[in-house]
Amino acid sequence: MSTSLSTKSMVNLQSASTAKKITVLVTVIFIALLLFGTLTTDGFYSTENFKAIINSAALVGVIAVGMTYIVISGNLFSLSVGTTAAVSAMTFLWALRFGMIAAIVITVAFGAVVIGLQGLLVGSTGANPIIVTIGAGALLEAMATWISGGVSVYPPADGPSYAFLYNPLFGVPFPVYVFIVVVIIGELVIKRSKFGRGIYLMGESPRAGRTAGLPTIALTTGAFVTAGICTAIAGILLGAFNQSGTLTSTGTLTVDSISAVLVGGTAVVGGRGSVTRTAVGAILVAAIGDMLLLRGYSPPIQLLALGIIVTVVVVLSYLNSGKGSRS
Amino acid sequence: MSRRNSLRFGNSTKEPKWPLFLLLALVVLTFAAPPIFGHSSSSFTIYNALQNTSCLGLVALGLGLTMIVGEFDLSVAGTYALGGMVAVKAGAGSPFIGILAGVAVCVVFGLIQGVIIAKLGVNSMAVTLGGSLVALGIAGTIGDNKSQSYDNYDVGIFLNQQIGTFFSVRILIGVAAFVAVFLLMTLTNLGRAMRATGGGRRASRTAGVRVDAIVIMSFGASAGFAGLGGVLQAYGTSTATSNPGLFPLIFAVTACLLGGIGLAGGRGGAVGIACGALSLALLSEFFSTVAAPQYVTGLVTGLLLILVTAAASPLVLRKWNESRARKAMQEASMPQTSSDKQSISIGE
Repeated sequence: MSTSLSTKSMVNLQSASTAKKITVLVTVIFIALLLFGTLTTDGFYSTENFKAIINSAALVGVIAVGMTYIVISGNLFSLSVGTTAAVSAMTFLWALRFGMIAAIVITVAFGAVVIGLQGLLVGSTGANPIIVTIGAGALLEAMATWISGGVSVYPPADGPSYAFLYNPLFGVPFPVYVFIVVVIIGELVIKRSKFGRGIYLMGESPRAGRTAGLPTIALTTGAFVTAGICTAIAGILLGAFNQSGTLTSTGTLTVDSISAVLVGGTAVVGGRGSVTRTAVGAILVAAIGDMLLLRGYSPPIQLLALGIIVTVVVVLSYLNSGKGSRS
Repeated sequence: MSRRNSLRFGNSTKEPKWPLFLLLALVVLTFAAPPIFGHSSSSFTIYNALQNTSCLGLVALGLGLTMIVGEFDLSVAGTYALGGMVAVKAGAGSPFIGILAGVAVCVVFGLIQGVIIAKLGVNSMAVTLGGSLVALGIAGTIGDNKSQSYDNYDVGIFLNQQIGTFFSVRILIGVAAFVAVFLLMTLTNLGRAMRATGGGRRASRTAGVRVDAIVIMSFGASAGFAGLGGVLQAYGTSTATSNPGLFPLIFAVTACLLGGIGLAGGRGGAVGIACGALSLALLSEFFSTVAAPQYVTGLVTGLLLILVTAAASPLVLRKWNESRARKAMQEASMPQTSSDKQSISIGE
């Protein structure tokens, strides 16, 4: 929740320090609320429950790592990741007939192409990323219904076993290991590679990036392709866990992954943030959901809580960036 | 701002004509094409399209107002659900109280979002994404996470009763909202101030436009109209759903873009939005007339939205402006310098 403290708005020190104070205050209130909530929830502090939290954080977290690339690149969010994850799950289970390796490769390629194409459109024309991804989500859903005939996809009876994808390994569910690996690779690529540094620069100021000769189209497409790969990986885990693929399995994946990025403190305006922050954000979002569930609140209350958190974080993110003061 | 305003943002003070032609083309399609597939349309097709537009068209009208001032209200699907749910819950005794409560709650909701966006200068898409979740969360909480039926069926029968060939009370309410916005935007300075705000905020502020008030008001109106659409939908079908999904939003964005409201702001008006919404409703009537499977509508809607978004993108707009400028130069047959060209393309 602590939004990046390195304020770059030296223009107005007064408001920058006020923004910092507000951020600290809100963070403290948030942590206090979370501690109070979890301490008074029966069964929250148990090994079993922590396992449940980390398991649900894993799936959302893998998608959120990809979403982080899009947010840092300055292209807001993708609203098609939930649908893409569900269709990836269907693709994976269908492709299992060609063997495990082939199924994974096909699914990852599918995710990379589907979301990458949206990035290419956004990067080359400057079209609004949110609307493009809403349209793409609707299109993908319709195509998946058309091709699948509107029924669930089941893995082939004589296909390879994929039980290892959801069974625990040394007592920890397999998706958690995938999550950790994706976070490490995601962080290394965005912090250490030329591609990653380009994404930060472009997100900081698209105009300056273009002037400096950054390949903005390639970088935007690359950020979306990364999101596509992560979403497809989550889709594989989702399909293996459900043992069937349907469009209704999207649930709140899109919203949860966006919340994870924002709660982690990656700036909604782009240019600042990190994959590690997102990992923390994913665990926090999962913990909040888990706490509300244990306390017997219905899904809409969880949606409401996420909505309030997202709004507050977005506002703080703007106050700290100095981009908000529009005159 | 004075009536004879020297500040002009492009030639954008008038509404474009092409949404009208688009609507005309869709009417022709709706009647001329189904016989090819062995089906036929009737006046009932128009009535159906209008019935749908009366609810979703209001969502488009609301969203369109925020787009004209250069912002974007992603939460309209949320306020659409919220309005309907509040109306069903609060209107158990009297439908009027229900309508009033549904719309009022949404207006307040929209005004709060507007204040955050205008006063703090936060990206409206990011704020209203959070707002959308809050609205859906409230709607789902008071609706117990499921659809709620409205037991006063007389209200639905009254709203849907056919008046003449094409109209019903529900449709007339929708038409009245569009007419009211149209009159407000043409007879008062409001339309000019809204387009100016969307065209260039700093210049408008300097010119004396109360930019913040305009933005806050448009978000209040947006949520109010989306809420009214939700109320009409809930009463018209005697059911309020707690989560309508993204469809109302998709319909509204596509209708606005088809209606000539750019994403950059500063262009368009109520007539364009009405044409866009009606065209889209007719298109969907066309598909149901020829008995196309459900996914075909989804395919076309998704593809259409991507296409119109790309067509309204900065690159395409720039290219279009450049080609228009080049044409104008050729017509004037004057020697041009590159700096002239640049100054024209900046004015988009």
